[in-house]
Amino acid sequence: MNTKSLIEAENIAYKINENKLFHNLSFSVNKGEALHISGPNGSGKSTLIRIILGITKQTKGTLTHNESNNISYLGHKNALKNYLTVSDNLILLGLNSHEKLNNFLEELALKKYLDVTVANLSFGQQKKLALLRIFLNKSNVIVLDEPFVGLDTYTQNIVESFLINEINLGKALIYTSHINCNIDSKILNLK
Amino acid sequence: MTTYYLEYLKLKKKLRSWLGPIIVFILIMVAYPLTVEFLEKDLEKGFYSLLWISILLSMMFSTEDIFLEDFNDGTLEQIIISSSSFPFMIAKKIFIYWIMIGLPISALSFLFSLGITKDLNLSLFVIFLAMISSYIFLNLFVFGSALSLNKGSVLGALITMPIALPVLIVLGKSIIALQFGINYLELLLLLLGCLSIIISTVPFIVSYVIKAHLE
Repeated sequence: MNTKSLIEAENIAYKINENKLFHNLSFSVNKGEALHISGPNGSGKSTLIRIILGITKQTKGTLTHNESNNISYLGHKNALKNYLTVSDNLILLGLNSHEKLNNFLEELALKKYLDVTVANLSFGQQKKLALLRIFLNKSNVIVLDEPFVGLDTYTQNIVESFLINEINLGKALIYTSHINCNIDSKILNLK
Repeated sequence: MTTYYLEYLKLKKKLRSWLGPIIVFILIMVAYPLTVEFLEKDLEKGFYSLLWISILLSMMFSTEDIFLEDFNDGTLEQIIISSSSFPFMIAKKIFIYWIMIGLPISALSFLFSLGITKDLNLSLFVIFLAMISSYIFLNLFVFGSALSLNKGSVLGALITMPIALPVLIVLGKSIIALQFGINYLELLLLLLGCLSIIISTVPFIVSYVIKAHLE
């Protein structure tokens, strides 16, 4: 394994009921690098993300994580509690006392919704709230599955700037996206 | 301590999840005297059987959606990829459910027992048995709930119910032993033994089952 590699995959394959979703995939993600997993719908992007996270087991091949890896992840599910207010959700996420919380709440225009239950927020606002998990967590690997879906251009720019800054600080980013973005990334195309 | 508080915060807001089983328990216990003759000696006859079955049913209802919400909104995935121990998270969740549901039901069992039998010693023994049995039932139904995570809670309850039957038998025998002055300590130790085995194994089994569901 490359000493700088945080995640390294060798010949990994995944099949569902004898149907190969992908096979012989090899890639590595180093510190300060971004990997964009692209491909059409149903090509296995989300499955590959779940394999990288260790939730799903690959059918073949090896996937190695650096021992010090600490991953923050946001997928299709926001992991928010709809029946709780924004501030209660921040407590659940362990972010309520974070020093940078106020800055991000203002930047994402969420501050005035602190006492509103998540069920009453729009999809985009819920996504922004979920993104706080990524913005405020101390991790060295960020994994995002379609992070820009539901966001307006202004918020997408904020997310992009944040991610570019994190990459420059030496973090690794793995993401899928059908929306064009300006993050300089290696591309892994699943056909 | 933070995890306990967070689980408490989540459950506290879900009134139906914790208050529902307690109300079901109260309704069954209140309905019992109405369905039999109004003679105190008659009431005592079937009271304890009904009490254990009510606790069993209440614990079954309380675990109906214990993991479903976390499964649907992606919280379980977040827990699995975090560095915290998944079995311990499950054990803490079960404990909070017991504190919020099992403990009040045990206290109510004491009150109902005292009201029906007027026997303080027996009722104090009942509260102890109710605490142990509610924790055992809760763990068993959590296992059932995990097994049928995305297939409906009834299936899980049906699978788990036969495992709970021996506990009901021991509970019944414990009360008879106390009422007839026979040594009940062995039965109590048997229940405590079951509880310790269940507490130490169920979170690990459940975590394995949930991971299999997520995969």
